[in-house]
Amino acid sequence: MKREFFALAVTFLLFVAFPAALFGYQAIRTNTSGARVIDLIAYAPANGGWKPDSIRVNIGERVRLRIAAPDVVHGFEIPALGITIDEILPGHTEEIEFVATRAGRFPFACTRWCSADHWRMRGVIEVIDPANPNPPRATFAPPLYQQLKIDLDAMHVAQNLPAQKPSAARGAAINLALDPRTQSPSEAFARLRANTPLTDAQLWDAIAFAWKQSAGAEQIARGQKLYARDCAACHGEQGRGDGTAGINLPGMAMMHREMNRGPADFTNAVQMFGASDAILHGKILRGGMGTGMPEWGSLYTDEEIWNMVSYIRSFAFDYR
Amino acid sequence: MEVGNWLVPSLGFDRRQISIAAITGLLVLAALLIPLPLTTYQLQNHSITLNARTFAYEPATMRVQRGDTITLKLESLDAAHGLAIDGYPVDLRAEPGKSATITFVADREGKFALRCSVSCGALHPFMIGELIVEPELPRVRAMLVTLVTAFGAVMFFWSKT
Amino acid sequence: MNTSRIEITRYPIVKKILTSRWLQWSAIALTLPFFILAILAGFFGTPAGNRNFGIVFVWIVWWGALILLLLPFAGRLWCAICPIPAPGEWLQRRALVQPRAGGKLYTLGWKWHRKLKNIWLQNFSFLAVALFSVVILTTPLVSSIVLALFALIALAMSLVYERRAFCRYLCPVGGFIGLYSQLAPIELRVKDHAVCASHKDKTCYVGSDAGYGCPWLVFPGALDKNTYCGLCTECLKTCPLDNVALYARPFGADLFSNTGRRLDEAYKAFIMLTCALAYSIVLISPWSILKETAYAVGSPGWWVYAVAFLAANLVIVPGIFYAGVTLAKKIARLTTPTKKLFVEFAYALVPLGLAAWIAFSVSFVLINFSYAWQVVSDPFGWGWNLFGTADWEWTPYFAGAQAFAQIPILLIGLVAAIGIAIRTAQEQGASSRTALPVIAFCVAYTLALIWLYV
Repeated sequence: MKREFFALAVTFLLFVAFPAALFGYQAIRTNTSGARVIDLIAYAPANGGWKPDSIRVNIGERVRLRIAAPDVVHGFEIPALGITIDEILPGHTEEIEFVATRAGRFPFACTRWCSADHWRMRGVIEVIDPANPNPPRATFAPPLYQQLKIDLDAMHVAQNLPAQKPSAARGAAINLALDPRTQSPSEAFARLRANTPLTDAQLWDAIAFAWKQSAGAEQIARGQKLYARDCAACHGEQGRGDGTAGINLPGMAMMHREMNRGPADFTNAVQMFGASDAILHGKILRGGMGTGMPEWGSLYTDEEIWNMVSYIRSFAFDYR
Repeated sequence: MEVGNWLVPSLGFDRRQISIAAITGLLVLAALLIPLPLTTYQLQNHSITLNARTFAYEPATMRVQRGDTITLKLESLDAAHGLAIDGYPVDLRAEPGKSATITFVADREGKFALRCSVSCGALHPFMIGELIVEPELPRVRAMLVTLVTAFGAVMFFWSKT
Repeated sequence: MNTSRIEITRYPIVKKILTSRWLQWSAIALTLPFFILAILAGFFGTPAGNRNFGIVFVWIVWWGALILLLLPFAGRLWCAICPIPAPGEWLQRRALVQPRAGGKLYTLGWKWHRKLKNIWLQNFSFLAVALFSVVILTTPLVSSIVLALFALIALAMSLVYERRAFCRYLCPVGGFIGLYSQLAPIELRVKDHAVCASHKDKTCYVGSDAGYGCPWLVFPGALDKNTYCGLCTECLKTCPLDNVALYARPFGADLFSNTGRRLDEAYKAFIMLTCALAYSIVLISPWSILKETAYAVGSPGWWVYAVAFLAANLVIVPGIFYAGVTLAKKIARLTTPTKKLFVEFAYALVPLGLAAWIAFSVSFVLINFSYAWQVVSDPFGWGWNLFGTADWEWTPYFAGAQAFAQIPILLIGLVAAIGIAIRTAQEQGASSRTALPVIAFCVAYTLALIWLYV
């Protein structure tokens, strides 16, 4: 009988204490830091997107985000709070702890291309200040394209085209006074053409140099990073509009008849030299155009978008 | 207790069977080792873009000749995928907007599975493609060995009664 | 007949272990926590199969151990230590270790229906699992639901039916383990049939104070093949005359006697043979359309797959074999009914089928085994790292070298199949060449697999 009791006790432990120990370990593991644990599951948009897609935390509260990816590789970022997890592998759980120090509604997003609808994989974290639970809505200055009353959806075709790819290196000796944000390269060319001793080719090189100078190497490098992460999937690693994720986008049939159907080709001089930086900035910020182009305004700061514009210019201009 | 009885109980090998087994063994060795006539072939460079999607590679089969140089560009159509090739030191990772390229010489002939090395969903372990390096001598030899062995086995167990 | 067998139980230490009442309970107490963890991981862990203990331990580690080691070398050993029927059996006995007086069982004691006392239900339960296997194999939740269902059905059947009716008549795995256990180099048999014949009490079948009557509903005195002996060792304990023994013996010895060959077992051989080929085509080929169709349960394409899969298993492959047997009958001008010849010759497919399953399993078990290191450290994918191995990279073991194992194994299976086919022809009073159509079938099957693998 004694033996039987021993066996019974062991069997009971296996059925009850063993599972309890497993779940108990998980519970203890989470509670050690005293932070509030928020579970977030990263599904690709077709499988449901972020679960949950909205989080509320209090200002000053210690929060531990625990993020799992059940399907494919995802990333996580709350740009406004500077919180980033580069890679969440399927079946892994990544954790990050933070204290939000400013109130507001901040978007978070997946940072790894996880499906055709990757860019839809976004959510909102709301940081509430208990002392001031209903702050007045923040006001923003309208983006430059709106201030300039530019119709983003109109065709902006270059009237002047260079015979060869303008080179910033060749144009480095010449200094031109121009504002790349409000005029297109083609417009700058037309304006400067009349009273300059330069040949057409020299003028184009000088314009390329002016554009490069207006951005700065560091800004271009930052733009390049963001481009690689968020744009290259559709617009291609070389900016040719040939990225694998840009094939068969849903809005393409609606695109302007005179344009190439598909993601914009940033090496195409007709398009690129017809657009001012304000136009490119507006397109990135607002997205749309009846194409698959997402809006990025809610994720990026204004500066980041200008950086991206500066980098995108390097495909049609030769910045080497 | 004879070892033979452990393999084929209660038959008791006779002299005829032992000779058949020996001859079959020699023929199997021959099928494995004899040099097969090969046609001479101009070495080529292949530049292949391999598209990875959940859960397949396109093209599913890549066919080259032994000694050819392959420049393989892995591009992903949907999410992060990887590429490992059995028997070749290939280890690539790609996702849309981030392709990966490797150049290697196909110096081992035969059929080699391409396998996804980045977990990508339910059928990930079965996301398989193939690299065929011709001439497919391993397949030819394996089939020859099978036929020789089968013939040997029939002779071995054959009885006139 | 088996003059070359060795009685293992003649060694006192082995005998002592095998007759210990602790043996089966302790073995199950070791496998049970793995089973519980596997089921919990499927229900509560990550849906990413290759990072879920449930999927990795059941379909890679357990499956690999079963097909590559347990089955070929120890036959039904798994059945002796399987945790699935254990709770039901313990409830039936209301004991874990010590037997009730006279080996009494607490069950309604219903008898299994006479017409179902065969493995047809196991054939169909295996096919049912096999049809959905692409989903079951890859989806932790589904895998756990299926395992839990097995455990619940086994439990319910223990309370209602006598003994291990689930294992014997329903378990989808038990059917093929039984079929292939005929090849294993161990057997449990009585030493002297005369002793059994003269023993009136038959305690091995009805039970005694020392243990329970055969849970597998087998009379050990009549055992002449491994198929239905679950190696639970109860009869070693209940035989008062020390007439039961465990033997080491030549591989495949059961197939050198053609007694008790049956259509249900023959069909098991066809189903296993067909499934090994079907999986080799669907799962490990580069043809993604097939795996995606097999995964998309309920879609129009899947229905085509389902019909094709079932037809291949139940009609096409057995049909080709039947045609071969008809030809063989013509060659030998035999008067034996074709159906009987069909059944007799089908047993040549037993070694071929196991070889095919080993070869198929080699192709994915070693490639994916490194996932096991990850899931022992993080069984649920919750970010644990119990043993520091959670972040080990996936490493395909012996990638590109599997064929060196697959081909020899397939050839051993083929040689054994040819031997049995010729022997079967002789047993039917026919000449060796009668077996040629069956041999051609086996060679063609082997070549098909080699063409897929190499």
